[in-house]
Amino acid sequence: MTTSPAFVSDPTITVERMSKWFGQKVAVSDLSCSFGTGLTGLLGPNGAGKTTLLRVIAGLLQPSDGSVTLLGENPRRKPAVYAAVALVPEEDAVYGFLTARQLVRYAAQLSGTSTDRVDQAIDDVDLGDAADRPISGFSKGMRQRAKVAAALVSDPTVLILDEPLNGTDPIQRANLIKTFRRLAEERTVIVSSHVLAEVERMADRVLAIVDGKLAAAGNISAIRQAMSDIPYRVRVETDDARGLAGPLMTVDHVSSVAVDGGTLHIETNDLSALGRSIPELARSTDARVTAFEPEDESLESVFRYLVRRR
Amino acid sequence: MTGFLPIVRVTLRQLLGGKRLIVLGLLGAIPAVVVWLATANRLSSKMLETYNESAIPTLFLIVMPITSIVLGSASLGDERRDGTLSFLVVRPIPRSVITAAKLAAAALAAVAVSAVAGILASVAVSIRASDWSTLVPTVVGLAISAGSYTAVFLVLGHLTSRAVLMGLVYLFLWETGISFAAPSLANISLFRIGLTAYTGMLPESQTVLAETLGSLTPGAGGAAVKMLILGALAIATAAALLRTRDIT
Repeated sequence: MTTSPAFVSDPTITVERMSKWFGQKVAVSDLSCSFGTGLTGLLGPNGAGKTTLLRVIAGLLQPSDGSVTLLGENPRRKPAVYAAVALVPEEDAVYGFLTARQLVRYAAQLSGTSTDRVDQAIDDVDLGDAADRPISGFSKGMRQRAKVAAALVSDPTVLILDEPLNGTDPIQRANLIKTFRRLAEERTVIVSSHVLAEVERMADRVLAIVDGKLAAAGNISAIRQAMSDIPYRVRVETDDARGLAGPLMTVDHVSSVAVDGGTLHIETNDLSALGRSIPELARSTDARVTAFEPEDESLESVFRYLVRRR
Repeated sequence: MTGFLPIVRVTLRQLLGGKRLIVLGLLGAIPAVVVWLATANRLSSKMLETYNESAIPTLFLIVMPITSIVLGSASLGDERRDGTLSFLVVRPIPRSVITAAKLAAAALAAVAVSAVAGILASVAVSIRASDWSTLVPTVVGLAISAGSYTAVFLVLGHLTSRAVLMGLVYLFLWETGISFAAPSLANISLFRIGLTAYTGMLPESQTVLAETLGSLTPGAGGAAVKMLILGALAIATAAALLRTRDIT
């Protein structure tokens, strides 16, 4: 069994050397990974191949090469597997003439599950007040929540969400993230999003895709650690920035130092060594250090590095 | 069959919602108006002949085919174009059940609109002639042709966004033109499938419509079988397309 962070030990979804191209355009190239219980964030710039990967996993697209199994089956050959799967696609398209309640009920009927859960699914996405209004009059965020409710009603084992937070306001977003995290305790939940801060908040594991290839996998810190060729950026607050900057420039593992008032922006290849050097240098220069914080642990920084590196 | 009836219900609302039903309804009123005007001041004995010369061509070559082409093409095609097909496909439902439900809904809608148009036209002539013999054959004939058209255009609508245009070209070039050139060409004609049922059930119409029927033998049974075969082929073909084609 592989120990690569792109794979999980007990997968519900397996992607093996999968490629997908549309004419001359390669959307996903030789990508291998797996998904299991928990919430995985799928990250990448627009056109990176996230939606294509999710649509191949959901069986909407046929891989051009390689294979994908969903709960051990090829869903295109065995639709019965969809009893345990729900997809929230990225497109805004929904049946506008239905009310939210009718849409969720329709989803339950199509999935062969009881319609008793309709009210619960609507409550899960806070759509109770608007449940009996036609979806055509909904805002984008409300449509998104109606689609999520339609996915939740069948109580799926695998939940695939393509940009589910699009158009939602901060409170709705927080509630949806809470719902996804709760569901991910016992289910496989995949969420693609360009709202990086939210992926960071909700995902236990991140797969970063750039130009149709898997650029990195794992948790945010692990991905950052793996990129040893890219310097870490650290912010240091001190009462003597200029006094501390001089000696820092002579330290081997420090590649650059920038002074911005009482703040130093330092680039280093060895974060722990810098952590040891700063107190020593502060003592020798009588500087008082009030803050020492890595600047680029956020997903956005990691993602920016990944895109730039390719 | 899980999902069959819910898909039929939602598709019917999809197909007959908004302005589409109003436009098709207005189109459906044309044959009744035509036959009402055409039979004014006519002798009772000539009423059926006038009906076959005016209302039947309008019903079988304009109202029913246009309605069936539009509704058949939209049944699966609109879902593909609107991006809602994934909502249907990512479900534990055999593809053939999805396509059968889609065809059933499109055929029901097309038959309903065409039948209402046929009933109106038939009632218009029947009131004047005091003879109601055209009513059932007209409805049955239109229903069989509408079923055949929707079967073919269900598949075409799934394959291409230009199915309606292709349908209109087929209708106005082939059905109303080329297919009259030789009697054997009538075999490749969708409206004639229903027309054979109509003439089979109303033998007195055969003289007027003999040229249109070409080499076809009047009879409702054979026409119904042809429609069922087309329906089964359409369901199987559309299901195979759902299984093999990408849903983008």
